Amino acid sequence: MFSKVLIANRGEIALRVIAACKEMGLKTVAVHSEADRDSLHVRYADDDVCIGPAASKQSYLSISSIIAAAEITGADAIHPGYGFLSENPHFAEIVSECGLTFIGPPPQAIRLMGDKARARETAKNAGVPIIPGSEGAVRTVEEAADVARSIGYPVILKAAAGGGGRGMRICWQESDLQSQYDTARNEAERAFGDGAVYLEKYLERPRHIEIQVFGDTHGRVVALGERECSIQRRHQKLIEESPSPALDEETRKLMCEAAIKLCQAVNYVNAGTIEFLYQDGAFYFMEMNTRIQVEHPVTEEVTGIDLVKEQIRVAAGEPLSVPHGEFRLRGHAMEFRVNAEDPVTFAPNPGKIRELHLPGGPGVRVDTHVYRDYMVPPHYDSLLAKLVIRGKDRSETLARARRALEQFVIEGVKTSIPLHRAILNNEKFIRGDISTRFMDHFSL
Amino acid sequence: MNFKEILELIDKVAESGISGVEIEQGGTKVRVEGKSSHPKVFAYAGEVKPEPRALPMAELPSAPPPETPQQTAARVAAEAGDAGLHIINAPIVGTFYRAANPEAPPFVNVGDRVSKGQVLCIIEAMKLMNEIECDVDGVIATVYPQNGQPVEYGEKLFAVKV
Repeated sequence: MFSKVLIANRGEIALRVIAACKEMGLKTVAVHSEADRDSLHVRYADDDVCIGPAASKQSYLSISSIIAAAEITGADAIHPGYGFLSENPHFAEIVSECGLTFIGPPPQAIRLMGDKARARETAKNAGVPIIPGSEGAVRTVEEAADVARSIGYPVILKAAAGGGGRGMRICWQESDLQSQYDTARNEAERAFGDGAVYLEKYLERPRHIEIQVFGDTHGRVVALGERECSIQRRHQKLIEESPSPALDEETRKLMCEAAIKLCQAVNYVNAGTIEFLYQDGAFYFMEMNTRIQVEHPVTEEVTGIDLVKEQIRVAAGEPLSVPHGEFRLRGHAMEFRVNAEDPVTFAPNPGKIRELHLPGGPGVRVDTHVYRDYMVPPHYDSLLAKLVIRGKDRSETLARARRALEQFVIEGVKTSIPLHRAILNNEKFIRGDISTRFMDHFSL
Repeated sequence: MNFKEILELIDKVAESGISGVEIEQGGTKVRVEGKSSHPKVFAYAGEVKPEPRALPMAELPSAPPPETPQQTAARVAAEAGDAGLHIINAPIVGTFYRAANPEAPPFVNVGDRVSKGQVLCIIEAMKLMNEIECDVDGVIATVYPQNGQPVEYGEKLFAVKV
């Protein structure tokens, strides 16, 4: 086991890793930028090192500064948290070259899964369903029509070079395809200087459902159930829950098996998440995240497994502590992300927290780095706290969440708390009738 | 009035050339005299209280104990003594070395005349020796870290009398 762990991160996740280390009797090193001098992770760690100015590029993203901090403090392992350098294969490599242990997956697995096209190919080869579509770009409208007939309408045309919605056209029937094909090509040409387009099955109301996976260095891989993360805006998750209200035992089992197959195909070690789109009983591989996720507490609450401690143990070469045999989720859990942002426009709102009251009581967990008089710096992401609620079933969880959000007070900065209160009173949300389009039709 | 504000007040008094100022605010009284070359600070014992801070947990292992008013006054006076000196801070985190290798003499000693671009020390980070250069002409007044000591980003390395 390690003796001293450096946490190459800030905010609530840095505190989360410090908590795990303390419980395991390991010493900790906090690194921080000049803007985070008064942060709690700096206070709670055994050692702290200022590694650069406020700008992430010269501090939390500066590989040489982080390694130097590990060297001068005598740390023997580095936990990257999420974001920043967590999915940078080059960083993972340098950490091991310097004789330290990277608490995360091997660099090859990070690299393979970070390349979207190769990840899709790997999934396909491992027998994991992917969204049906053309093999690469379609060259003519006739070829597009052939592919569309074989996978079924609706389909979506996407720019091969693109992203951000440009060059995208939804086609509900063949006549749409005939008329939209040239428009999509022209738009792609103008936006990206490359008119190549490909075609995919269009999912109208997909759910985002992901599987938590964990591999150890002894060849064992387990799937720890799902998290439904359909409530999101601009691809940023707002609420996550487990189990998903949409899955039956059979589908859950199929998704977990698919996730395990993919991990085995890339010799995956440590914590990871396989993201799927789900609609009408079918699921399709989207991407894999090769790190601990923001929403990991949801899984912790329904499995009773401390995922961060498990990460540290597995990185030290120990076998997974998850019992063998049938795996069952217990109760229901939901996470609400409390961000420093305007609940209507979602514009970030940094500033000083003048008043703070955190909810407590049965089934309530708050992971946060904020305190009264804390200055929320403008340089980093706006997450202030994660409110995690556990109940015996979904309806108890919802009632408990409403009660906890009523007790949750943050003054001085605008937060997403009012938005969460409103979502909790939405009929469709209460029924569990949600998709990734939910927030398109919801506002305060 | 917090510590930073007191420091700012000292700077302002020194700059303005006025003889002094006395401020009373919420039971805290601070007088800064600016007659001599270095301003003096009188903090009234028992009245300068550290700012109350609310933190979710009672025990903060790495938080330093609050300074006594005497310590505060001494530190303020010492830092005010840096006025007129140019401070060179560590541009990176790493291990501070005063010489190119253990046998070599230090790059600079207190009292040495230095010029812009001259190497003052080495900071080792990731087995790389980064030469830290002087950015002014002057005379070395202070060397802050010990040889072989770790330094953080922004930590004081040298004071140069310009």
